[in-house]
Amino acid sequence: MSKILQTRRQLLQTIAFAGIAGTAVGKFPGIAYAADGATLKIQFERELDSLDPGYFVGGSPPCDVNWALMPALVHYGRGGGWIPSPHVESVVARDATHIDFTLRKGMMWTNGFGEVTTEDVAYSYDREAVSEWKGDYVAYDHVEIKDKYSGTIVLNQPFAPFMNTTLASGTGIIICKKAVEAAGGKFTTEQPASCGPYLIAEHRPGQVLKLRSNPEWNGAKPAYENIDCLFVTESSAAALAYEAGELDIAKVSADTYARYLKEIPANSSLTVAGALQYMWMGMNTDHPKLKDIRVRQAIQHAVDASAVVQGAYSGTAEQSYGVVCPGLTGRRDKAGYSYDPTKAKALLEEAGVSGLKLTLRTLNNQERMLTAQIIQANLAAIGVTVEIIPLDGGPFWDMGQEKKGDTWKELELWIMRYSSGPDPYEPFQWFVRGQVGVWNWERWSSDEFEDLFAKGVAETDTGKREAIYTRMQEIMDETGAYVYLTHEPEVFIHKSSLSPHFSPTAEMIVGAFKEA
Amino acid sequence: MKAYKKKIILSLPDVILPEKLVLFLRNPMGVLGFTLVLLIVISAVFAPLFATHNPFTMDIANRLAGPSFDNFLGTDQLGRDTYTRVLYGGRVALQVAAIGVSVSLIVGLTLGMIAGYGPLWLDNMLLLLFDAIRSFPTIVLALAAVALLGPSLSLVMTIVIITSIPGYARLARTSTLSIKNTEFILAEQSLGASMKRVLAIHIMPNVIGPLLILAAMDVPVVVTIEAGLSFLGLGVQPPTASWGTILNEGYLIIRTTPWIVIAGGIPLILTTLGFTFLGESLRDVFDPRLRKGK
Repeated sequence: MSKILQTRRQLLQTIAFAGIAGTAVGKFPGIAYAADGATLKIQFERELDSLDPGYFVGGSPPCDVNWALMPALVHYGRGGGWIPSPHVESVVARDATHIDFTLRKGMMWTNGFGEVTTEDVAYSYDREAVSEWKGDYVAYDHVEIKDKYSGTIVLNQPFAPFMNTTLASGTGIIICKKAVEAAGGKFTTEQPASCGPYLIAEHRPGQVLKLRSNPEWNGAKPAYENIDCLFVTESSAAALAYEAGELDIAKVSADTYARYLKEIPANSSLTVAGALQYMWMGMNTDHPKLKDIRVRQAIQHAVDASAVVQGAYSGTAEQSYGVVCPGLTGRRDKAGYSYDPTKAKALLEEAGVSGLKLTLRTLNNQERMLTAQIIQANLAAIGVTVEIIPLDGGPFWDMGQEKKGDTWKELELWIMRYSSGPDPYEPFQWFVRGQVGVWNWERWSSDEFEDLFAKGVAETDTGKREAIYTRMQEIMDETGAYVYLTHEPEVFIHKSSLSPHFSPTAEMIVGAFKEA
Repeated sequence: MKAYKKKIILSLPDVILPEKLVLFLRNPMGVLGFTLVLLIVISAVFAPLFATHNPFTMDIANRLAGPSFDNFLGTDQLGRDTYTRVLYGGRVALQVAAIGVSVSLIVGLTLGMIAGYGPLWLDNMLLLLFDAIRSFPTIVLALAAVALLGPSLSLVMTIVIITSIPGYARLARTSTLSIKNTEFILAEQSLGASMKRVLAIHIMPNVIGPLLILAAMDVPVVVTIEAGLSFLGLGVQPPTASWGTILNEGYLIIRTTPWIVIAGGIPLILTTLGFTFLGESLRDVFDPRLRKGK
């Protein structure tokens, strides 16, 4: 036993002096970088709750994982738009309402469930059309089965973006009819059978999901044999992990993006995977405290979204004026309300409300917490006290859903962000009547909105679609339930030697990753 | 002659100050610890006097500014003055520590004395309870409680109190057991004194010393628990400043603006060192058996 540090106190003293000395010298010994060339290490920013394409919380990581494991008719290509997937011989739109497809022969499901067949395709799409994601399938009617490998998708109305917004998206994957039925019709984090370039070798929740190349896969071999997906929920922490060599690709936060624009780490590249995100603060129109529309309108006028863009996103995000994202038909340059605290106070007075206390629920990450604090300060200025409730992904995504508990009754304010597809109809599907208590947590509905939604899907004229989607956003403004905040870019930092591939909504298509 | 000699070499502090204080003052680590504690307490109590800004006022145009005469420790991501927030963060830390430690000390002392002095069955029952609580890892218990009940400062304090009580109680029980059968207690019992009186008047003064030392050494633990939970977003809620939330906001932008992490970290280090040195020195003074080499 060393005589140098005999007591706890001596140890503390030594550490204290060493700390002071270390600080004085200015730095500690460098951290050894970990490097493992054999395995690609990517970041997943939230836990995998479900892989079931009918009932998952969309976005990354379920889409990323499903595309690596499961068949689909089409994928997102590198040049934008869709391309036939490795699972098909051909996919051809015969006319505005018929899509012919032929599957490749000999594509085998795992676990001995036989070949991928047209019946699986029909089962998958029929199931989606009545699932929580039925909004993606509004134009879908049925699949005509010609034989074991070929068939025709029949639409109930012309709908040009069907390939991009539905078939190529996370809800377009094909599941194994026999396996899913054997599993009881639903599943969560384990696909009952898969047929893709990768298999899940291990899943340690909260830590890592290991994808290994599927030895039975008879399509083109992926560029990376092993992919370890590490769960790092905080983007800034992921960037630090990237810089320490623990990740090969990571999503970066607004602040880090601003820093990397000035100076990027060595041998690294930045890829902006799209800005099809829309973030807003929602209000529960059913809640007694918010039932009076004047209170909701007061809150709309009290929040300074430009401060959110600067304070929480370092100016790297675009200010939002509606749910239609930049670059899409129907995108507006102003909302139906403006930042005007005086008007907000007047509206509250008119409603006879004083000493209002509200809760604001948000995901517990840096940008959202900063956003929440800006909103808290904005609302304090008009006399509304806001208590911020930070939540982890699990309880956050469940809180507005009626079938996931009773929190939806207590919901008052929350900060929400959805991803949009590359077509403007996509965001509106979450706010229709059928989504009240599912994803329409604001809990309002309007006949005109329903009518316009159906018209927008069927309309092919860009000018008319613009008018429809502008009006639909005006209806959303008029509910008083929305304060539009930002459209943030999805930015990834990655090794320059890696050429990643993303969907328009910034999920990673790992099967198409390759070396640069 | 010997006594006379001893008397003439007495220094001034020996005459004026009690023996214990002299012992304490001769320990440089103790004095350093006491000074640090004093500084931290003063800065927290008089935070509004020392603060240069309002801790909640945002100045987004001036976000992440470096240290300057206007903002001694720069500003955070929302342009709030970090120096002011560190001062106010000290209030939260010390509030949790003061309430948490004192309540657990009082409850632990009472339960411990009852366990030591009371009947065997009660002793066994209380011991079982103390050990059951002690078997929970504090942070894990806190995380579970926060997940169930939602984050708040009062919950943090409740958890601190519940998990600290057994430590004090076991110490009080052992001390009580060791003096329970001494003559002066037996004499008091033979005079018909009630249990309450024996515990409060005779046993408590004899067992409280070590507990106070333990309390001083527990303060940094409690401060760290509060900061840790707040760092994870499970303790103090925004916009209230806590050293933990300052660290949390700072570590994410450590590459560009390190002063926020430094500003949140240094008071934590100083508090830990201050209270630990103070506690250790007090122990040396009041419990000479534990003093090394004596």
